[in-house]
Amino acid sequence: MAAPLLTIGERTEEEPAAPSLELSNDLAEFRSAAGVAEMVRLAGEVLGDPTFPVARAWKRAGGRSVATFPVYTPQELIHALGMLPVTVQGGGENLEITHADALLGSFLCSISKSTLEMALTGRLDAFEGFVFPYICDVSRNLEGIFARSLPGKMTHMLHLPQNFGSAATLPFLIAEYRRLLAKLERVAGRAYDPEHLRASLATFNRQRRLVGELADLRRERPADLSLVEMYLLTRLGSTLPRELHIELLERALAELTARHRKPRDALRVVVVGPFCEQPTLDLLSLLEESGCAVVGEEFQMLSRWYGDVPSEGDPLENLARAYLEAPVDIGVRATPTTKEAGILARVERTGAQGVLFLTAKFCEPALEDVVLYRRALEKRNIPYLQMEFEERSTTYEQARLQLETFVESQLFD
Amino acid sequence: MTGAAGAAPPREGDFLDSGRELQRRLVEEYYRGLAEAGGPQRPVAYMLVGGNLTEIVRSFGYEVVFPEIVALNCAIKHRSLENILHAEAMGYGLDVCGYVKNDLGLQDLGGSTPFGRIPRPDLLVCSFSGCYVYVKWWEALAESYGAPMFTYDVPYLREEVPYKEDIQYMVAQLWEFVHQLEKRTGRAFDMEELKRVLRETRRAEEGWARYLRAGRLRPSPIEAYFEAIFYMFPINVLRGTAQAADFYDVVNAEVERRVREGNLPLPEEKVRVLVEGVPPYTNYRTFWDFFRKWGAVSVVATYPKVGGLFDRGFLHDPARPFESIAEYSLGAYVNQSWTLRRKLIQEYLREYSVDAVVIHGIKSCRSFTAGQGDLRDWLIHDQGVPTLYIESDHQDPRYFAPAQIKNRMDAFFESLDQRRTTKAPATEVAA
Repeated sequence: MAAPLLTIGERTEEEPAAPSLELSNDLAEFRSAAGVAEMVRLAGEVLGDPTFPVARAWKRAGGRSVATFPVYTPQELIHALGMLPVTVQGGGENLEITHADALLGSFLCSISKSTLEMALTGRLDAFEGFVFPYICDVSRNLEGIFARSLPGKMTHMLHLPQNFGSAATLPFLIAEYRRLLAKLERVAGRAYDPEHLRASLATFNRQRRLVGELADLRRERPADLSLVEMYLLTRLGSTLPRELHIELLERALAELTARHRKPRDALRVVVVGPFCEQPTLDLLSLLEESGCAVVGEEFQMLSRWYGDVPSEGDPLENLARAYLEAPVDIGVRATPTTKEAGILARVERTGAQGVLFLTAKFCEPALEDVVLYRRALEKRNIPYLQMEFEERSTTYEQARLQLETFVESQLFD
Repeated sequence: MTGAAGAAPPREGDFLDSGRELQRRLVEEYYRGLAEAGGPQRPVAYMLVGGNLTEIVRSFGYEVVFPEIVALNCAIKHRSLENILHAEAMGYGLDVCGYVKNDLGLQDLGGSTPFGRIPRPDLLVCSFSGCYVYVKWWEALAESYGAPMFTYDVPYLREEVPYKEDIQYMVAQLWEFVHQLEKRTGRAFDMEELKRVLRETRRAEEGWARYLRAGRLRPSPIEAYFEAIFYMFPINVLRGTAQAADFYDVVNAEVERRVREGNLPLPEEKVRVLVEGVPPYTNYRTFWDFFRKWGAVSVVATYPKVGGLFDRGFLHDPARPFESIAEYSLGAYVNQSWTLRRKLIQEYLREYSVDAVVIHGIKSCRSFTAGQGDLRDWLIHDQGVPTLYIESDHQDPRYFAPAQIKNRMDAFFESLDQRRTTKAPATEVAA
């Protein structure tokens, strides 16, 4: 605990960091992007900037935005109140941690530290509120730290239920959403209207369908869409106004449908573990360079948590029901079957030849599941490789060696 | 260095009498009973401490095992490392909770402990209250044993007055649980029996709360961390039995005797400490020595409240059985938001006339620990209370660095001692 304490409200001389990317208030840069390559380049710049240029542009244009910590928050509620929902998925590889270590403790994941660091250094000033879902104890506790660190902002800890077999869970979750809505209404300065939520459900349904099409294309023709391209195009939807993201995805899919690149030999793998903290783009590139074709992953779960949410009837109930009934089986949600059944089903569904466990350092939900998953794979002789990562990784030599050895041992066995 | 540090500390057990002796006997009897449990006649339920449903489960004839408590007992007997190493060989990483590794390693090695054999579970009751790892741990047990698992989802407490929807949700789950137990055991649920048990529960909780409140006296007749942790066993493990309720009568009589006779935790109470965090069970007495040598007595602590905040009124009520079980489950210390935790600590500082705070962070426990650095910052800057933050692990002895911890604690207490002797104003101390 050697790092100096930062008194709340006090900022060091060099901070907040100068924003590196300024977008126009109407985000015209995205609309004028000439094609997939330009969209991907823009996405890389925007998502690599820990001062959230889209949210800043939105604010300059008079809008309000609310940040949500991964993995799941019903962002449709934020959208329905006319605000911009943004998933804050850590500070990435370029953010230096100087204050958050002292407030959080040593043995915690990088994403929690970088998120707090951004808050303490003014990088999250564009947001009016913060939602922390109960996906793990660290996310849960961050809410209380934010409440103290940013006293003028709205904070909320969203309790996502873990009892999926009770008749009482749905009414509870609806009540939980109403509590969140009450806070969001104060931030938005307007009242919740079910009609607006219906419209938001339709928008998010469209966005998820397009993200699904992108994932299908990638699974069927991995050579025509690199992992980094797919990742950036998908993740862009966690920060852009959703309507704009839909426009971009429609254009991108039209272009990609006509793309025909020569397929290469690769090991089809499912990547399990990075549902919250995100690996660097260099690590994602390395997966492909090493001969892995990623045919299933958990990088951007929020964008495909469920299928279409119906708008008939009570839209709030529909949204809560969609969360509870979604067959999502990842580390931050009580498993609907068993871990063994879950991992085997994923391998079968994707036609994967192996599993790559990519677990964030200190991510306890992921680390504990790995043992059960591995046991299940060993019973079926399905190969796997386990690697840990941090969002601020800079050297990859060991990772490259591990990956190449794993792929070679399978492809040339 | 002042004279205080050079004096030989009194031995740990000098002020402990009938309560500690009775507690030891209760622990032995409990584990002896467990060794004979299992099978259809005496089925076994595994349960977690936070927000547990002991009274309901026992009313259906189950013996109850608390793997957290088995794990900490292994740790205090210096038997945790072999279990942890075995769990790591099974694939559990360095950063996984020490309780989980200690328990899963133990189970995989056959469940044999220095205090008896731990039976296999027939039922797994996951009270999801205050710790996300609970779900992961119980999923692993369910897959290992093929035992049925019931998840009792306890919402996080974010306001002082619980939301009525949360209570309704938990009460509904309790009824569903009871119906499942009826089907599983073939026994009918007996509400009157539950109310009778809850009367014993409440008697124990009131006795425990009375004991804890004795720390308000100056000098304190109790050691509210190291001693109280011994006495958590009846309230957490035997709650609902007459044994547990009677135990606190014995302890409170002893505390009154201590006051009368001046048999106090230390001959001179120089520093009144609030301790936040789980102890390093693997080096329990060593850690205690680091306090005693400076005349530091913990007069209040947060860790003894992980099973419930009985001293703040979260009591079971036989007149409102399920509602009060729900309220109790919500109120466990680590199921409370940091905003509520800070408020509680603020009240403790005042009510217990606290001079200083020691925070013990746990490497592998994010639930308790994530944010303790922020708590330190709040204590020093917003509350003006000298505060020390140290870090090790509750289960894994590899992370307890005695020389380093002792140096930091010596420096902290020495600065307090100097301030006390020179009457310097209370300002920041961030050792």
